[in-house]
Amino acid sequence: MLRNLFLVISTLGLACALATVLSRNLVRAGLWLVAFFFCVACLFVLLEAEFLAALQVLVYIGAVSILLMFGIMLTRGVQGTDPTSNPSARLAPGLVAGGVLFLLLSYGISRERGLRTQRSWATTGERPAIEPGTEGPSTPRRDAINNMGKALGVELMSRYVIAFELAGLLLTAALVGAIAVAHREEAFEPSSKGAPASSPAAESASVA
Amino acid sequence: MNVFEGAACAFLWAQSQAVELDFWTKARWALWLLVGFFGIFPGIVAYMVWLERKVAARFQDRIGPNRVGPFGLLQPIADAIKLITKEDLVPGGADGAVHLAAPVLVITSAFLVMAVIPFAVGLAPVNLPSGLVYLIAASSLSPLGIFLAGWSSRNKYSLIGAMRAVAQLVSYEVPQVLATIPVVLWAGSFSLVSIFDRQVNQGWFVASPPGLLGFVILFIASIAEVNRAPFDLPEAESELIAGYHTEYSGMRFGLFFLAEYLSVFAVSCLATAIFLGGGMPIPFLAFPVNLLGESAWSYVIVDAMLLAVFLVKVLAIVFVVLWVRATLPRMRVDRLMNFSWKYLVPLALVNVLVAAVWYELVIRPGAFDAGRWMMGTAVTGPIVAAACWGVFAINRAHGARAPVSEQWPSVGRIGPGVGGRGVSRRGL
Repeated sequence: MLRNLFLVISTLGLACALATVLSRNLVRAGLWLVAFFFCVACLFVLLEAEFLAALQVLVYIGAVSILLMFGIMLTRGVQGTDPTSNPSARLAPGLVAGGVLFLLLSYGISRERGLRTQRSWATTGERPAIEPGTEGPSTPRRDAINNMGKALGVELMSRYVIAFELAGLLLTAALVGAIAVAHREEAFEPSSKGAPASSPAAESASVA
Repeated sequence: MNVFEGAACAFLWAQSQAVELDFWTKARWALWLLVGFFGIFPGIVAYMVWLERKVAARFQDRIGPNRVGPFGLLQPIADAIKLITKEDLVPGGADGAVHLAAPVLVITSAFLVMAVIPFAVGLAPVNLPSGLVYLIAASSLSPLGIFLAGWSSRNKYSLIGAMRAVAQLVSYEVPQVLATIPVVLWAGSFSLVSIFDRQVNQGWFVASPPGLLGFVILFIASIAEVNRAPFDLPEAESELIAGYHTEYSGMRFGLFFLAEYLSVFAVSCLATAIFLGGGMPIPFLAFPVNLLGESAWSYVIVDAMLLAVFLVKVLAIVFVVLWVRATLPRMRVDRLMNFSWKYLVPLALVNVLVAAVWYELVIRPGAFDAGRWMMGTAVTGPIVAAACWGVFAINRAHGARAPVSEQWPSVGRIGPGVGGRGVSRRGL
């Protein structure tokens, strides 16, 4: 049952990924990407990582896809129907890059050796079943399933704290950098009277 | 309501912390789906529309619907029949599939949110350990649906409405989520059932200075999230015809309509469940919950009380939402963004820190008592008040310093030294 579910979801996900690449309308491609993100969230649920699945939906479908749509509309014309650049010219490099990435990932994942206390994922045929109920002694696995946010928070603040802080620093730097880039462009325009006529907002304001 | 209690009585023993996929769980879910999601929630929405028309009419010194049935009570049914029998138009230039899918996405998001709300003891459709994150994720689907509705219609009003909607929803999602963090901190869990249980022992979360501030922020941001006045710019009739659903007719328009009112109901339920102590009638007493015994009848009686109080609280919040709509004018678009990013987000961030102080002072030491509560209030109350005052003072000072340019949206001719309301104080 679980295996069939996995096969169905991953087939759907691959189909959505293909449709993303092959779609000629950019907004439609973005929509297929959303469907692909949703399939990934479903895979997370199959792995009993519902917290991660919710975050996947929240971050990728709720935020990234919206940004994507905005980006398309602001750069490619409102309806997103402008054809993308000639796809056949980039077919060979794209295939090579994709193939190399696939080989790298499959090599790395299949050679995974596992942490000191865990067995390797590559040699684990089946996952242990969910430990049901709240009775009996608590085990780390049951605690993690029953209160995933807490388990994740404790891990992020102890074992993975350096990676967590570094990621936070990187994101803050990216945010500040983005604001700096956006702000510098604005600084060239005089903000008081006599704004250049090229600025559409100023134009419409003076017309009004 | 009787059906709810019957469901509670029959399937109470199937409730446990971890979800087990046995027969009774599936039967319970099927019952929730058929009775709750297909029957009761749409009915509640229909009568919320009736309530809104009645309340708005009273505010405007009118009578409201009174022709169809006693007090106009059959009006929602007549409206539903009218919507279903209307012609379902798709504009010629529209993107057919996306035009079809957009309202479905919006209504799905609104329904999914309801799936984790604990209405009473054992009366949550699903008790997810990450319920609050799930709820936020489900509600974050609706901006995408709204955007697609506007984009696929090929209508400039739709598109402008969709752009406004997405900008507004993405902005107000931030304070809305930040305002719920104190609750998660105090309950130590994302599960809405755990949050309710915690409030049985600790009193309502709103009964503390950071909780009160969090509730107010959540309430304001939620009104904006569901596109209600004064934040209804995405569907501003006087400027945009109907905003993102301009090109929708018949039942597909009805789906947007249903989704909007269902979202109002859902955010009211959320605020009630996480801040107002769910169905608890008295803030610091575990009153009906401590009467729970072994027998099924005690569950039925306690759950009936909890459910009644819960619905009264939800109704009160819904009434305030309608009241706000009937009272306040629509906000200007630049002020809308300023209000989110310059007022609500800083306040919510400060509130997270104050909530940590409250946690250390009141919740971590163990048993909850009046002395600790007073000490915590004495410490955190002034901080919260100072934070509110500080945010408003800084923003006012900053706003007064900002120079007035020709891009400043204003009525009539403005400029430094000319006079009028929009002129900076520095220029005078």
